[in-house]
Amino acid sequence: MSRGVAVTGLGCLSGAGMNLAECLDSMFRNQRYPHPPVRFSTDHPVSYPVLELRDEFQLPLDDQETIYTRTSQLALVAALEALADAGWDAESLRGKRVGVCIGTTVGCALNCDDFYRTYKSGANPKLQVIERFLRSNPAAVIARQLQLNGPTQVVVNACSSGTDAIGIGASWLRAGACDIVIAGGADELSRVTYAGFSSLMITATEPCKPFDVNRKGLNLGEGAGLVILENEASVAGKALRGRVIGYGSACDAHHLTAPHPDGLGLKRALAEALTMAEVTPEQIAFVNAHGTGTPDNDRIESRVLHEVLPGVPFISTKGYTGHTLGAAGGIEAVFTLACMARGEIPANIGFADPDPALPSTPVTVNTSLKADYALSESLAFGGNNAVLIFEKGDH
Amino acid sequence: MRMAIQGIGISGGFGQGVSALQDALQQGAVTPQAVTVERSSGVDNFPAYRSDIEGLYEFFPKRALRRIDHFSKMTLHSACLALQDAGLLESDRSRTGVVIASGYGAMKTTFDFLDSYLDFGYSCSSPTHFSNSVHNAAAAHVSMQLKATAPSLTVTQFEMSVPSALLTAQLWLAEGRVDQVLFGAVDEYCEVLRYCRKQFFGAGEAGPVAPLDFDRQSAVVGEGAAFFVLSRATEQAAAYACIESVTLGNHAAWPLTLPEDDRLIIGADGHKTCADWYRQTLSGRRVAAYAPLYGSFPAAAGFDLAVAALSLRDGNFYQEALLGTEAPKTTTATPLASGEQLSCLKFGPGGDYGLIRLAR
Repeated sequence: MSRGVAVTGLGCLSGAGMNLAECLDSMFRNQRYPHPPVRFSTDHPVSYPVLELRDEFQLPLDDQETIYTRTSQLALVAALEALADAGWDAESLRGKRVGVCIGTTVGCALNCDDFYRTYKSGANPKLQVIERFLRSNPAAVIARQLQLNGPTQVVVNACSSGTDAIGIGASWLRAGACDIVIAGGADELSRVTYAGFSSLMITATEPCKPFDVNRKGLNLGEGAGLVILENEASVAGKALRGRVIGYGSACDAHHLTAPHPDGLGLKRALAEALTMAEVTPEQIAFVNAHGTGTPDNDRIESRVLHEVLPGVPFISTKGYTGHTLGAAGGIEAVFTLACMARGEIPANIGFADPDPALPSTPVTVNTSLKADYALSESLAFGGNNAVLIFEKGDH
Repeated sequence: MRMAIQGIGISGGFGQGVSALQDALQQGAVTPQAVTVERSSGVDNFPAYRSDIEGLYEFFPKRALRRIDHFSKMTLHSACLALQDAGLLESDRSRTGVVIASGYGAMKTTFDFLDSYLDFGYSCSSPTHFSNSVHNAAAAHVSMQLKATAPSLTVTQFEMSVPSALLTAQLWLAEGRVDQVLFGAVDEYCEVLRYCRKQFFGAGEAGPVAPLDFDRQSAVVGEGAAFFVLSRATEQAAAYACIESVTLGNHAAWPLTLPEDDRLIIGADGHKTCADWYRQTLSGRRVAAYAPLYGSFPAAAGFDLAVAALSLRDGNFYQEALLGTEAPKTTTATPLASGEQLSCLKFGPGGDYGLIRLAR
């Protein structure tokens, strides 16, 4: 594959921080902030900790509270940070073909339970929430707010959506469909997903412990992580955040909610990404693993990493951000690139005691990196697996 | 890269399969079903184009599908019909990608999940409804039931879902990531959607659909699934037609340039909110719109694509009308000249457009 897809900007906000610098600061201080949900309540007898944004954010919109869903607002915040990081503003994008490819789950679901409760009661609920939903396709919101012209796509591949969105965005650039692509993932915390994940009995009642023997499940989170992708040929002289050099994806075709017991889809996605990137496992500095903290995911992922990438250090950053679902792949891609630039990765927070059933374990302290390539992977509902490989940039 | 359409599977208000669509095209219109919804606030009678999934059980035993919702059953049924149409029902699918486009996803299942906790409390939330309500559940069921282990993608972009997802399917084939793509467009009817449309549009949802009357809201809700088996045109002659290009953009930001000589199938479906974009760009053009056969829903852009493919295969363009200052006048079927191309154009309410060009 051509190494022609440059990453020129990064933007991110999550429960770890309100921008990329804050996220990195808390992660490298090994701090996390899980707590019971504040933005919604339920009558569920158990309270599951989540990682919500710790502060409010402000967008240049007169009617921020009502015009778009929170997911689209998160996407827009991260897009503006990433564009500024890349040296672009809305005016300078005029006349360019700018694609927007965003992964989400909640952002495209009609999770309007207050509206629906009223409807079920026989009353006629007002349509503001529906109108907001119809205005809030996250990719369309970014394109509309920045007055962009180009393809827009929202990927709804569950928890691999953000990873797939970046892989697809890179593909658009290689094919010449765009000059620039804004890609990544965004998702808000929602009472509906909170209820859904608790029904699946895969949420922990304590801060999550990815890859630990005592792991009990995931913590939900929210946020957005976006990258600016450009053709290498058009960014001569610009300091790069890195390059997307490999992407692979495959479906387990096994179970709606559980990974294949032998990780077949993940292995295939890894093989495809490594082949495309033309790098060997020995050249990989680290893996930003999916690492949700659920028994099944971490067992399969540890085994596959041990088999395919033996000895390569890995972490899950979900201890810091929670599982941000469709945003996860975007946020973790941003962290992967930013960690390469720093030359170190943070400790896998939450991991203390190894699981004898897991052949490989994550790093437990902040660790220096020794190579110029890194990999970020996502496993998802529906058996989706997606892998990105990045080359280190200039900053 | 050109994509060859090797098979089509389709189900909607007109029936199931390509022959049912062909019959509907020849008749020119399909009568929607009469649907009644009873709520404590009153009874609502309205037309809707609903899709039947009984044919699915010719492919799978009912028992194997007992935890699968209506949305995924429609999806799976049309996927099987497309493979059958392409003669590939028994083929190896380890290099068949699955790409699904949906404007809204499994809406009814989402509300079924809400029912589970609104009726019985959060601790009784249904894991089955939740997992089926996730947008990519239908793609997952297709992959699982048909053993398709290559990449899988679900896209939701409201009216632009079909062209947007098709763009990625095209790139998967061009990059050699897959040898075939099972590409589908799916949306379902649900009562809450009907409620919203009635509140938005009032009597305008009563039909009949008049897609070229841009001044009148005349949409009728529909549902269904249209699937295509796509391959690289360089490797295999197309059974139906070739998709030459897929273009997306925003007419307000960068004006759309339409191919001058193409016959046009437009996604106008009786919604006034999108009508101005068609009016602005199509004056003086001969166009066809087929919403009176399957109703109004975002994934109907996939149905337009099926009509285009069928028209090119048969060398026959089913009814068209000349747009201009006067009321459009519809004419009956006309033959397509050799080498003549078709374009499918869909606008969203904000000027977003998707343009799919096809040739024999």
